[in-house]
Amino acid sequence: MLSRKTILTLLTLLIVSPVFGVILAEEIGYHEPLDIAAEELGLNESEFTWTPLKDYTVPGLPEWLGYIVCGALGILVITLIGSIIERFVKR
Amino acid sequence: MHIPDGYLSPAVAGTTLLITLGVLVFAIRKISSTRDSLSEKTPLFTALSAGIFVAQMIAWPIPGGTSLHLVGGALAGILVGPWLGILSMSLVLFVQCLIFHDGGLTAIGANIINMGIVGVLVGYVVFKAVYKASKKVWLSGFLAGWLSLVLAGLTCGIELGISWSSALPIYVMTSWHAILGLIEGLITSGVVSYLTIKSLKIGGGFSAFS
Repeated sequence: MLSRKTILTLLTLLIVSPVFGVILAEEIGYHEPLDIAAEELGLNESEFTWTPLKDYTVPGLPEWLGYIVCGALGILVITLIGSIIERFVKR
Repeated sequence: MHIPDGYLSPAVAGTTLLITLGVLVFAIRKISSTRDSLSEKTPLFTALSAGIFVAQMIAWPIPGGTSLHLVGGALAGILVGPWLGILSMSLVLFVQCLIFHDGGLTAIGANIINMGIVGVLVGYVVFKAVYKASKKVWLSGFLAGWLSLVLAGLTCGIELGISWSSALPIYVMTSWHAILGLIEGLITSGVVSYLTIKSLKIGGGFSAFS
């Protein structure tokens, strides 16, 4: 299980994440080296998707809030899987 | 650095998936053989995986051309060792891909190789070697973080290069990550130095110190 200090750190990172991942990314334009390489090669991302939460968005929610909700969901899933592994190892 | 669907040729996508599956099986076997110390490390494994997941959501746009976020491969290797580190990064990458479509399904093998295998192993080996020679945690952490990102970028460039018979992505990915990797190095160095100073008793010390 996660300690209180770890949970507080994760929550802090989660709450500030939309400032960087949504607001500043839109202001300045998020552009990774992989995007630069793809532009040079003329590559296009496939349109096919399998999740309604693509790119950390939640349909019907503002982007910043969807980003936080997705972050919380990701942390929850990882913690759940981690807890299952912890129980399995302790046996 | 999460490669989406459509960027890799079927041959490269298939080969990287097979390599990844092989390494994951090997990593699980290695971890199973050290089960005694594993029970002490699993709480850190969970915290580390969740921490890397949320830290990757904090993307820093850099005015003038590009953006970056922490990858965390070196950090994972240093804190929990190479094999558990590979599993930690793989867990993060699977969750990102399957739930949030961050990285393509057909590129999951390549993404795990780049960030979860190369990133972790390079970070772990470099940290151990530099720490042995210098006894300086901050320097070891910095070089481990920097080189892990540069070589992860190079590997990604090679995969794209083979897919499209071009050397251009190798140059683009390596040169950009040589610059952006400095920040990965600073963050890795900062976190490892902080945890060392705080002397957190986790699993009897961090894996890369032993």
